Amino acid sequence: MTAALCLEGVRGGHAGFVLEVERLSLNRGEAVALHGPSGAGKSTLLDMLALARAPELAATFVLTPREGAALDLRGLWAAGQDRAITDARARHYGYVLQQGGLLPFLDVRANIEIPLALLGRSAVGRVKALAARLDITALLDRMPATLSVGQRQRVAIARALVHTPDIVLADEPTASVHPGMADTVMALLREEAAAADAALLLATHDPERAARLGFRLLRLCPDPDGAARSVLAA
Amino acid sequence: MMRWRLVMRLAMRDLLHERRLAVCSILGLAAVLLPLILLFSLKYGVMQGLREDLIENPRTRMVVNQANRAFPESFIEELSARSDIAFAVGRIRSLNADARFVTAGRPAEPVLAELWATGLGDPLMGGATPRELRDVIFTVAMAARSGAAPGEAVTLRAIRVSADGRREALNLPMRLAAIAPAYALDRPAAFVEMRVLRLVDGFLNGDLPATALPEDIAPRATTPYAGFRAHARRLEDVPRLDAELRAAGVDVETRAVEVTSLLNLDRSLSLLFALIAGVGGAGYLLSLAVGFYANVERKQRHLSQLRLLGLRRGEVVLLPLIQALVVGVAGTLLAGGVALGLAQVINELNLAGAGQRSVALIQPWHLAVALAVTLLGAALAASFAALRAGRVAPAEGIRDA
Repeated sequence: MTAALCLEGVRGGHAGFVLEVERLSLNRGEAVALHGPSGAGKSTLLDMLALARAPELAATFVLTPREGAALDLRGLWAAGQDRAITDARARHYGYVLQQGGLLPFLDVRANIEIPLALLGRSAVGRVKALAARLDITALLDRMPATLSVGQRQRVAIARALVHTPDIVLADEPTASVHPGMADTVMALLREEAAAADAALLLATHDPERAARLGFRLLRLCPDPDGAARSVLAA
Repeated sequence: MMRWRLVMRLAMRDLLHERRLAVCSILGLAAVLLPLILLFSLKYGVMQGLREDLIENPRTRMVVNQANRAFPESFIEELSARSDIAFAVGRIRSLNADARFVTAGRPAEPVLAELWATGLGDPLMGGATPRELRDVIFTVAMAARSGAAPGEAVTLRAIRVSADGRREALNLPMRLAAIAPAYALDRPAAFVEMRVLRLVDGFLNGDLPATALPEDIAPRATTPYAGFRAHARRLEDVPRLDAELRAAGVDVETRAVEVTSLLNLDRSLSLLFALIAGVGGAGYLLSLAVGFYANVERKQRHLSQLRLLGLRRGEVVLLPLIQALVVGVAGTLLAGGVALGLAQVINELNLAGAGQRSVALIQPWHLAVALAVTLLGAALAASFAALRAGRVAPAEGIRDA
């Protein structure tokens, strides 16, 4: 398996909290579940992995896309190249948020099409095929407010994968769904990310379920002495 | 799809999604703009009416010297050449500027008339300039008194008494070419070509014989004129010309005081309007700015999700700006349309008692200016919201609780 994202010696945080990542690789086709107690820094790590928060320090922070040259994100951050980082998010990332993160003023079809529109790619065929796979064809013309949480998550998965990203990040995507539905959503996400040959990282409070569904578990450990510090060990 | 089209689409879809709020913003804008447009149209209509009254009467723009003096031909030429003067012509001594006209209706009783020089482009003539040297134009009062009609042959008669008491008459056959507009002069008078006037002047001074003809008079005068009559090109030029000539030692008679009063009234009303528009507009723009800003605060999560998905900072900044411009255009169109309808009602009902004249006037350029100012104001009002939108961090979008 090839690494889509590789971090080493990364340190970041906010408001006095420090998160250290000794080494982390997200491989293509692999599904990783990030877990840890509340306040352990899952959100901080997710922000950094999502290129939404710059690390304070990084020995290595490299994204290796399916096509094209590797991106030294550490260099882009150091140079303050917000536009290049934004474009990297658009091209190489897909996101599934807790309640889907759909835009309420766009219908389902337009929500799914956004990543393609940002990249200037045609949505013809791709949205239809993905909608069929995720069983949301009948929902394409509906507004997000009319969907159930489970339906929203399916739409969010379609939007995260429509532009065949290299990395898919999901922040507790099953937190708001019915427990009976959680397995379905998690399995669907894993299956679709694998089909797209994308690396999947999912933050969860339910590591047992993730492990049962074949996710590699990553545990964020808070400082045993109670300091505002967490470490993701190599 | 081009990115700018996507940004446009996102802004429009969001506006449509919250169409009730958008309609409220549009109505709010129109409610402020409508009275301003109407107020301006009334001010413009009233001032335009007063202006037309003064402009339609060319005597308002007339500048004549008061006492007889000596003005060489070159002085008249210089006046004519000025960009702020539409027409200038010399005048002879008032003592010599009288003649009698023998007409077919009153062959035995020649009618006395003042003689005025005229020429091509004389505003007093309303386009009825003499075409031939022997053409004459009567005022309405002169036409009524003489009973002459246009096209009729008339005879100009001037009489002088020599030192030895002998009476001598100059009889000049002429043609009544036209009747001057009523505003030209309310006394019996005849407008003739300058050479005819100089012939009469020369004859009465004893410099020319009774057999002299206007055709024999040189086009350029060698002797100075006793005065001049000039017409300013614009109303605004009258007070300046008045002041300028008086400063040069030429006593002139003008309607500068009336014109200055009108222009002062125009300025005062414009200032008053600007004050009302400024205070009303600024108040509304402030409320608009607060509304847009609150909107961005409310939609912070959506904006950050868009940033997370890959919308660039500059593109997110554009969203509130585009929405503000759309609200601005819609509000102006609504206010402009209603204002046009109300102006028509005001004019048709003759609410201001102005008769046939429109008292509320809305020109296309008024609406264009209203639109431009509104768009500028809306963009300014939305700029704070846009700056706030630009500062929304993508990380805020990840937490979708």
